[in-house]
Order: sequence, then structure tokens, then C-alpha cells
Amino acid sequence: MLRNSLILILILGLAAIMLSIFVDYTPKEKLGPVAEHYANNGKEEVGAANLVTAVVVTYRGLDTLGEVSILFLSAAIIGFFLKIRNEEHSKNQIVIRYSEILGTGAKILVPIIILLGAYVFINGHLTPGGGFQGGAIIASAFVLMLIALPRPALNHRVLSIIESFSGLSYVIIGLLGVFLAAGFLDNQIMSLGTFGTILSAGAVPVIYILIGLKVGTELTGIIGNLKEIQNEE
Amino acid sequence: MVDPIYIVAVLLGISFSLGFIGKKSENIAGILSLLALGFTTLVSAQWFYNFVTADIETYHIFTTAFKPPFSINLMMGKEEALFTMMINAIGLFGGLYMFDRLKAAGKNSFIALLMLIMGLNVVVMTRDLFNLFVFLEISSIAVAGLIVLTQNTKSISAGFKFMIATGIISGLLLLGIAFIYNYAGSLNIDHILTQNLEAAKGLSIAIFFLMIAIVLEMKPFPANGWGLDVYSSAESGVSSLLSSAYATATVFVLMKLLPFAPENLQFLIAAIGIITFVFSNLMGMRQDNPNRMLGYSSISQIGLLAAVIGISSVIGEYTYFIVISILISHFLAKSGLFWIAGIVKQESIKNWSVLRSNKLLLVLFGVFIFALTGLPPFPGFFGKWELVMHLAETKNFIWIFAVLIGSFFEVVYMFRWLGYAVKNDIIIETKLKAKIHQIIPLLLFAAAAFGAGYYVSSEHPYASLINYLPLAVALGFAFIEFLPVFIKNTLAIAAMAAYFYFNYESYNELQVIFAAIFIIGGILTLIAGYAYKGKRQGFYPFALMMFAGLIGLVEATTTLEFFFAWELMTIGSYFLILRGKKSIKHALSYILFSIGGAYLILAGFGLAAIGKPDISIGILSNIELYAPWIFGLLAIGFMTKTASIGLHIWLPGAHAEAEADVSPMVSAILLKAGVFGLIMLFLAMGEQFIGNISFAYILSWVGVITALMGNMMAAFQEDAKRLLAYSSIGALGYVLFGLSLMSHLGWLTAISFSVTHFMFKALLFLAIGGVVWRLKTKDMYKMGGLIKKMPFSFISVLIGIIVLAGVPPLTGFAGKWLFFQAVVEKQWFLQGAVLFFSGIIAFLYCFRLIHSIFLGQPKDEHRNVKEAPFWILVPQYAILMVIMLFSMLPNSLLKPIGDMLMPYFPDGAITWDGQMATTALGYWNGKTVMFIVVGVFAIVFGWLVFMNRNAKKVKQFNIGYAAERPFLPETTHYAFNFFAPYKKAIGFLVAPGITNFWHRVDEGAHSVSDKFTKIYNGNAQSYLIHIVAFILVIYLISFGGF
Amino acid sequence: MQNIGIEQISLAVGFILLLIGIWGMLSQKNILKIIVSFTIFETGLNVILVVIGYIRNKTAPILDTTELQTNTAEKIVDPIPQALVLTSIVIGLGVTALLLVYALKMHKEKKSLLINDYKDTKW
Repeated sequence: MLRNSLILILILGLAAIMLSIFVDYTPKEKLGPVAEHYANNGKEEVGAANLVTAVVVTYRGLDTLGEVSILFLSAAIIGFFLKIRNEEHSKNQIVIRYSEILGTGAKILVPIIILLGAYVFINGHLTPGGGFQGGAIIASAFVLMLIALPRPALNHRVLSIIESFSGLSYVIIGLLGVFLAAGFLDNQIMSLGTFGTILSAGAVPVIYILIGLKVGTELTGIIGNLKEIQNEE
Repeated sequence: MVDPIYIVAVLLGISFSLGFIGKKSENIAGILSLLALGFTTLVSAQWFYNFVTADIETYHIFTTAFKPPFSINLMMGKEEALFTMMINAIGLFGGLYMFDRLKAAGKNSFIALLMLIMGLNVVVMTRDLFNLFVFLEISSIAVAGLIVLTQNTKSISAGFKFMIATGIISGLLLLGIAFIYNYAGSLNIDHILTQNLEAAKGLSIAIFFLMIAIVLEMKPFPANGWGLDVYSSAESGVSSLLSSAYATATVFVLMKLLPFAPENLQFLIAAIGIITFVFSNLMGMRQDNPNRMLGYSSISQIGLLAAVIGISSVIGEYTYFIVISILISHFLAKSGLFWIAGIVKQESIKNWSVLRSNKLLLVLFGVFIFALTGLPPFPGFFGKWELVMHLAETKNFIWIFAVLIGSFFEVVYMFRWLGYAVKNDIIIETKLKAKIHQIIPLLLFAAAAFGAGYYVSSEHPYASLINYLPLAVALGFAFIEFLPVFIKNTLAIAAMAAYFYFNYESYNELQVIFAAIFIIGGILTLIAGYAYKGKRQGFYPFALMMFAGLIGLVEATTTLEFFFAWELMTIGSYFLILRGKKSIKHALSYILFSIGGAYLILAGFGLAAIGKPDISIGILSNIELYAPWIFGLLAIGFMTKTASIGLHIWLPGAHAEAEADVSPMVSAILLKAGVFGLIMLFLAMGEQFIGNISFAYILSWVGVITALMGNMMAAFQEDAKRLLAYSSIGALGYVLFGLSLMSHLGWLTAISFSVTHFMFKALLFLAIGGVVWRLKTKDMYKMGGLIKKMPFSFISVLIGIIVLAGVPPLTGFAGKWLFFQAVVEKQWFLQGAVLFFSGIIAFLYCFRLIHSIFLGQPKDEHRNVKEAPFWILVPQYAILMVIMLFSMLPNSLLKPIGDMLMPYFPDGAITWDGQMATTALGYWNGKTVMFIVVGVFAIVFGWLVFMNRNAKKVKQFNIGYAAERPFLPETTHYAFNFFAPYKKAIGFLVAPGITNFWHRVDEGAHSVSDKFTKIYNGNAQSYLIHIVAFILVIYLISFGGF
Repeated sequence: MQNIGIEQISLAVGFILLLIGIWGMLSQKNILKIIVSFTIFETGLNVILVVIGYIRNKTAPILDTTELQTNTAEKIVDPIPQALVLTSIVIGLGVTALLLVYALKMHKEKKSLLINDYKDTKW
């Protein structure tokens, strides 16, 4: 009781602070200095029609590299935290009830979902979406597979090789920026191409493809790990 | 130079490529990771080296083709180079230390390690707020992963608490960053700071959230339970990463973001920091688990740094120096201690005696403890010094108090731990084995602690003057520990003799007198060391360190040198005392009183330096502000060493339990350091007054009571060495009283008595030490009748007590004579009367000493004892000869002292005519007195021998006197409770009131400590409540309302 | 506070989500509920980020029409917070996944999901 009222007081206190911010907030009329620069020069400087992508992959590319690392790191930690014993789990696996309809449906849907994901990350620099979104869509295909199929065979080795390949390539592309262009993660190591087409924005599509692959495999890996540990019990 | 972007690229690249490596090749993964960390360490080391030597310009790293604020940029300046170097180094060596653990957990754990270090590197270098958030998040996730390297209920729940807490904290950080962007339209730190932003409530709240999140990352009291639980339950190697890498980075972030904070928030952060420092250390005192204790200590150190950073606007340009020196000490020592804790694997510090099975680890452990507690020659010492100096300069006295009391708490638990490791008698039958990959990082970090100390002191205008030669020689002895005692002893004596020979000409009279007590006295006591066999490991480095400190005191020209030497002497003597039997308690109370005293001295020096252009010792004679305070602080500080009443409780145990040659070292020589300090103080500052009362008058009473109580307690001891120890307390009371007379005669007495006391106390302790050496007991009632077995020792003791009691003809009488002259001259008759009375008590214990040991009936079990070892007798007889010389020719001692005093006290000097001394009150001729007394003695002695010719000798075991066998035979020995009637009469005076007082202080502090730790109840949600409440309270203080 | 528009409403929603999240983390005893509360907290933050980038009557920062490609600054909302929100979501995902694994492991240790049962280290 005492504890709950204390919590209530604390929340009310925080709410009062938030209220001060809220009262002081005035809706923006125009872009801030940095955003204005992006809006006016993004087209020439990066060449991506999707300005958010330009910010994510190029202007704030280091953040995105960090973001990719976070997912990678989480997946890695979950991997050793759960310590999946690949040899054993086949023996103790619990047979999960499985519906024929769901299974067949999944088999049909999975390739389509993957295709959609690929589309989203390949066109990340032109339309809404990008590597993360596309990767998440791809992962959802695998999640569907994991849930719907009786004995889904997730090959962690392949996943981790794709993951490592795309991550390493990302870093190498970043470094190519140092050698071939103006700085780390500079997208102009490739020609900017024609604005608004698939082959534009320099290295941005390449990076987004790599991110898409990486995010897709990492999320799949995490879900797969969780599923397998559940099966072990 | 290698572009710092490669630090990021290589760490990321390697951790990404670890995925290619198969499950069975963890070794390859590990080696690759360590290579990557080695590379990054070299990169930042190279930058740091160039910043230091070539003074190159700060380097900006731009990502992509655009300049900030349009893209994220990193920066590599001198500070960044140093911090990334530290982070990469702890990554490399921490990784090496944990190599087999990480390998066992699989290659993914190496990924976590690399990501942690990579994240922290960017956190240090980045100039973009959101980027900072992202990489801080990477690091904290990596920590959350490493915590579960060992998986058990404790570590898993601690990791969960950590994640939930950092989740809220980083959420608030993001909230702050988001609203800063809302107002500034930019995320670049430099860009935001250079814009003149309109003051808005929302913006200041956003900045508040930004700063409070960083402060919370530093685990401030009391919102830090989550951090503590991680420290105590994670793998030691992981805790070291958290403490040394993660915390180091947060310190840097606070430095980087501080310009955002308005001034009142800066001070608030400083206040949080100092409160954290004091309370964490207070709570550290009740810890038993080494890792949790180190956790408290880590949090406190980081709190101190937050405090220093918070008041950087007050401290000014030296902030960086202070932060760096404290941080480096913390960094090296804390990693080292965590690593050792990981090897020892004992849940309770009481079981750390197991460390003794591995000498190397024990030595390293000591080094790290000293580095951590800010003792010389480690960098923390200079940081603390500079901090106190600047706090004093800006008159932040409460801060000085907080810094010193917090440091003191830390000393309490660190040295208790060290004591357990070196001396605890819990025997654990395991041989500690450290693997080579664990030892290498430890050795490197210990070496780096010395190196960093030297580097930091060379950066400091005054510290660079410190004479490191004596210390270097002392440390050099650590490397020849494998040699036998004989060689080491000879080398030590030669080194000290050579040092004195080459330097004494540059000393003034006062310096010569004390240098002689310290060095020649030291050599004399060292001679007794030849009696020891074997290697006597762990003796010479510390003995020489103590002498290095003592000579440093004499030579000091600046207050910093003085303080450095003072601490050095304390360390050396601490270990000498710790070598004794059952010494844990005594050594601990010795170091606590010494360090407490040292902190008072430090505070005094700090006050003295206010408004002064330099810190030479001379500034003491030119004080305008706070003179009584300075005087009081320094006087009490020095009196902890002279063991004046109230501050004496450490002495009896420490001196009595020490080895045969250590007792005279610490009793006859070491105490004089306090006397030297007092003399220096009185000479510089003259008489000081609180109100109308002179300090000298107060000190005279302190001296008198010390003399009386010391002597009384001496009289009631059963233990011969304790008796001598209490007698030292009494003797130093005389010295204090003499000094407080502030007259020529008083000082002449005090200084000459210091010399005399050195001689007779060294003599007595050596003689009794020799007896104890043979008899293996210190209890006087177990001795008796040894005059025939140990005649040489008997003569020593006889001469010793004659000098001590101050009866003619020996030099002690000269002291007494002068003494009462001085008292009469000053007309302090009441004090004089008490002193006279305590002199009578001195007769009692002197009599007891010689009677119960050497006279009376010999004990059955001592029928075959031999005379004390030859080498213990040699210094005794050397001293005896000097005593005889001074007794015959008193002016050889008194005249130089008198001449020395002339400039300070020209009035009332003695006039000398040959050996005839004349004062205003009378005259005295040492030679004549000697002849008369010897003549009288010879006559009386002859008469006695003549009268005794008919006495009938009875065999010792003649049963004519036998009776029933008592239950406790020794209690019926005549020497037991020798002065029972007196004890009945005045025993209440010596009831251990003062000891009880200090015990209560100790218990009180511990129970307060215990109460506070109860807030950490282990519940994740309570910790969250602490965090939210903390934010709310700080917000209310900072904004004065909502 | 005249003209309460979509910005203020969304901002208020963001703050309320944030507070609900914190309240849940402080008071819910079930570890899974705590984790859910954490994600509510994160969502609140993300909503706030989006609000900060929003400018009334402006369009998404995707220059797919030629009309948008001139005088772009006057026609689009701020792309930066949108990029930040993406990062924040991904970080939240990583943290949540790890928290869930922690919950799983804690359950394995003690067969309990009550936070009060995990007080092994204290004082």
C-alpha cells in the first residue's frame, strides 16, 4: 500500500515534469537548420529520393552501422545465453500439433513474403521502407515457417555466414569510402546514377541490401533460438 | 598515424567475421579478437604518444563526404586518445585475462567483448548526441551479455536488473536528446553549443534529462543498487570491464557534455558525486564479499570524479590533471583487484589468507590496494593532493572534509582486506595457481601503476621535484628478495650509510640531528637483523621504504615533498608492523590513525597554501588566514605519530607485537617523525591562539596527561614489550610538553630528550627483544632470574632504565635537570608537579622490568636458555657507548642543539664552561656528577658484597617453601600483577576509556553503514523506484519546483 | 493553448504511454508484464520522436514527384527524427529480445516469473 502510493506520487511527479515540457512545446513551423540543409541538398549530395534513407544510410550512417551492430550483438548474446545444444535437441523435441492447411498455406506464402521483403529493401532509397523494414518482413516469413511447419530445419550455420558476410561487407563498403571517396561510409564510391531510379544514390542500395539480409537473418536467428530452447524443455 | 576510424572499423569487422568461424574453433575467434584489440590499443597509444611528445593538433574524423553538423563526426584529441587507450587496453588485457572463460562460453562472447569496447570507443570520440546514445546502448547491451558469462540465479537476476535500469535510463536520455533536437534543430554537440539558443523551460528540462541520464549511468547513491548487484554477481573479469572500461567512458561523457549543463546543475552533479563518494565508501565498510566491496569502491571513485568534473568551473585548468590521475589509479587498481579476486575465488575477504600461497599475487594485491587508496607513488596520490589544494584555494572546506572522510572510509575496508590477506590465520589448504594469461595482465597493470605515477608527477610543477632515489632503492630490494639476509642486510646498511655520507653536509643542524636519528639509528637497528636466518622476505623493501620516507621528511622543501615522504614512511612502517604476531588488528589501527593523521596534515597544508604563490615549507611561517586551524590540523596530524593521549591506542599493540628489531625501529625511530613535524610546525608558526588560550598551553596539558597516562599504563602491563611501548607514549608526552614550553630550555630538553629516548628505547627494545627471542614469551611473570643466563642483556636493560628514569649519572639525568629548569622558568608548576609524579611512576615500571625479568627465581623451563643472539647485542653495546659518551660529555649533545636553537629562542640559553652547564637557576657538570655517582655506587656495592659474604645459599628447588600447587601457577608468581596495590588505588584512571571510545566510533560507523546498505534490498523494482525518485528529487532541487 | 492540433494530441499520447510504461515497470510483479511495460515506454518515446519531426500540412520526405524536388524545405516534414525513430525501434527490439531471453532463463532457474523472487544479491 505504502509502496503503491509512493509509486503513484513518483508517477505524478514525472507527469508534472512531462506537463512542463508539454506546455512549453510549440509545434514547428519550419525545418531546423540541419534538416533544411538535407531537404535542399539531399538530392544532389546523396541522390536518394527517400530523404529518410539518405539520412539513415549516409548522413547518419554511423548510427545505422551501430544499429546493425546492436541487432547483431543481441543475436550473438542470445545465442550464447541460450547455449543451444544442436546435437541434443532433436532427441527431446516435443512434437507440436501441426495443421496441414496451415503448413501448405505457409509453404505458398513464404516465398511471396520473402519477395516482398526483398522488394522493400531494394527500393529503400526510392520508396518508404528500407533494409530494416525489408529484413523484418523476410524474418516474418521464417517465423511463419517456424510456427507452421512440424520440423522446421533452420540451418544456423548458413544464417550466421550470411549475417557475417553482410556485416563484414558493410564495414568494407564503409572503409572503401575512406579510400575511394571523402570519408567513412561515403556513398559516392559508386556513381550517383539517375535520380529516382533503382541504380541511384551510389552505394545506398547496396548497403540497404546488406542490411536487409543481415536484419532478416538475425531476427530469424533470434526467433529460431527461442523456439529451439522451448522445444528442449 | 593510423586514422582512428580504423578502431571502429576493425573492431566491427572482426566481430562480424567471427560468424564465419565454426563452432569448434573458439581459439581462432579469441586470438583474432585479441589481435583486433591489440591493434586498436596501439592506434590510440600512438595518438596519445604523439599528443604528449609532439603536441599535435586535435584530429577530426568526418564520416561521409559532409562536414558536421550535417554528418556524424568523431574527434581525437589528447583526452580522447588517453581514454580510448585505457578502454582498448582493458579490452585487450581483460580479454586475455578471461580468455579461457570466454572460450568456454563460445565465440559469441568474444563478439560481446569486441562490441563493448567498440561502443565505448565511439562513445568517447563522437561529437553527436544521438550517436552517443546508440553506442552507449551497444555497450550496455554488451555488458548485459557479458554478465551472464557465468550463468547462475544471481548473475541472471543481476543482469535483468541491469537491463531494466539501463532501459529506463537510456529512455530518458533519448527523451532529453529528442527535445534538445526539438529546440536546437541539430544533434551535433559543438553545433548546439555554439548556437545561442533561446532559454526555454522545455530545453532546460531536456538538458536536465540528458545530464541526469549520464549521471545515472555513473551509478550515483542511492540509485545504484542495480550496478552493485552486477558487480557482486558477475564474473570478476566482467566486473573489471564494467568498472574500468564502462565507467571510464561515462566519466568522459560527463566531461564532454558538461558545457550543456547550467551552473547550478553542474554543482548539483558535483554534490551528487561527493555524496556518492562518501556514502558508497561508508557502505563499503560492512562488505564481506570482495567483488561487492570493489563494486562499492568503484562507484565511490566514479562519484568522486563526477564531483571533480562538476566543480571544474571552480577548480579551473587543473581539473583534467586531477581527473586523470585519480581515474588512472582507479582504472589500473580496480582492474587488478577484480582480476585477483577472480583468481582467488573466495566469497569472504576473511578467507583471503589463501593469497599467501602465491607470493607474486600477494605483492600485486598490495600494489593495487595502495594505488587505489591514493598512496604514493601512485597517480591517485597526486590527484588527491591537487584536489585538496584547489578546494582549499577556493575555500570549499566542507568539500575537503567530504573528500577526506570518504577516502578514509575506503582506507578502512581496503586495509582490513589487505590485513586479512597478509596475516589472517584462517588456513585454506589450496595452492593458488594463476594461469599465465591471467598473470601477464596483472603484471603489466601493476607496472603501469608505477609508470603512471611517475608520469603524472612529472607533469606536476612541484611533484617533479620529488627525490625518487631512496624510494627506488627500496623498491629495488624487492627484486633481490631471493638473496639471504646477510647480503641484503649488508646492502641495506651500505645504502643508508652511503646516502647519509653523501648528503649530510647539505643539511642544517636540525636536519642533521633528525637525519642522524633516522639514518644512523636505522643502521644500528638494522645490525640486529644479522641475527635472522634465511631470506626474511618482505622485510627489506618496506624497512627501506620507511627510512626513505623518514629521510624525505628531513629533506623536504615543499609541503608536497613532506606529505609524500610522510605517506611513504607510513606504508613502510605499516608492513613492518604487519609482520608481527597477531598483528591484523594493530596494523589496521596503526594505518587508520596514520592515514587519518595524514589527511589532517593534507588539509592543513591545503589551508596553508591559500593565496600563496608556491607550496614551499616556508609558507607556514607566513600565514595570514586560518592560522589556528592550520596549526591545529597539523599538530593533531603529527600527534597521531607521536601517539599523544587520545591518539595512542594503535601504539602498544603495534610496537609490542613487532619483531625484535622492528620494535626499536618503530618505537625509537618512527615516533620521532611526529616530533620532527611538530618542531617544524612550531618553528614556522610560533605560538597560536584560539581565543585567548595559547595552543602551546593546551599542548602542554596534552603532553603532561600523555606522560602520566603512558607511564601509568606501562606500570600495569604484564607483557614486557607492551610495557616499553606504553613507556614510549609517556616519553613522547615529555617531548610534547617540552616543545610546548616554547622556550630555549624547553626545546633543548625536548630535542635532546628525543635523541636520548631514541638511545634508551632502542637499547631496551633490543635487549628485551633478545630475551623474547630466546624465551618465546613476552609475559614478564613467565620470566625471572635471567641475570646469570643473559648478563649482557641485563647490563643493557640496567643502563637503559637508568637513562629512562633520569637518575644520575647518565644522560637521562641531564634531561630531567634541564626539564625542571624549564618548567620553573615558565612557572607551569601544576604541569611540572604532574610530570614529576609521572616520573615516579616511571621508576615503578623500570623496577618491574629489571626485577621480574632478570632477578628473582629462574623458571624451570629456562634452565637452558642462552644469551641473546650476538647480532642483537652488537647494536645495544654500540648505543651503550654513545650513552656513556653523552653522559660524560653532555655538551657534545646539548651544545649543538643549543646553538641551533639560538636563532629561534635566544633567551635563557645555557652557558657552557667545559662540561659545566650554567643556567639562570643553577649549574651542573656532567663529568663531576658521573664521578661522584660512580664513586658512591662503588662504595655501596663494595659494602653490600662485603655484608653478603655470610649469606646462606638455598637451592632454587628447595621444597622448604613449597605449598599446595595453585590452579594457575603463573598468577601466583610475584611478578604477576606486580603493582596490585597501586592498581587498586589509581587503576580507575587507566581504565580503557579511550580505547572504548574509538571502539564505539568504529562500531557506530559500521552500524550506520549497515543501515544504509539495507536500501539495496535486491528487488529490481525497488531499484527502479530509487532511480525515478532520484530523478524527481534532483529535478525539484534543480528547478525549485515543477 | 489555443489550436490544439494533432501534434499536441500525439505528444500527450506519447507522454501518457511513457508514464504508463514506467508505472508498469515500477508496479507490475510479473516479469513478462514488466517487459511489456518497457515496450510501452519505448513506444511512448518513439511517438514523441515522430511528433518532434512533424510539421503541419507538410508531406513525407520522399521526393518521388518533381513538384517536391524544388523548394523541398518548405514542403516536407523533418526527416531526421524519422531516421532516429528507426534506430530507436531497432534498439528497442534488440533490448526487448534480450529481456525476454532473460525472463526465460530466470524462469528456468526458479520456475517463477515474480520479480520479488529474484532478490539473491543485496546489501
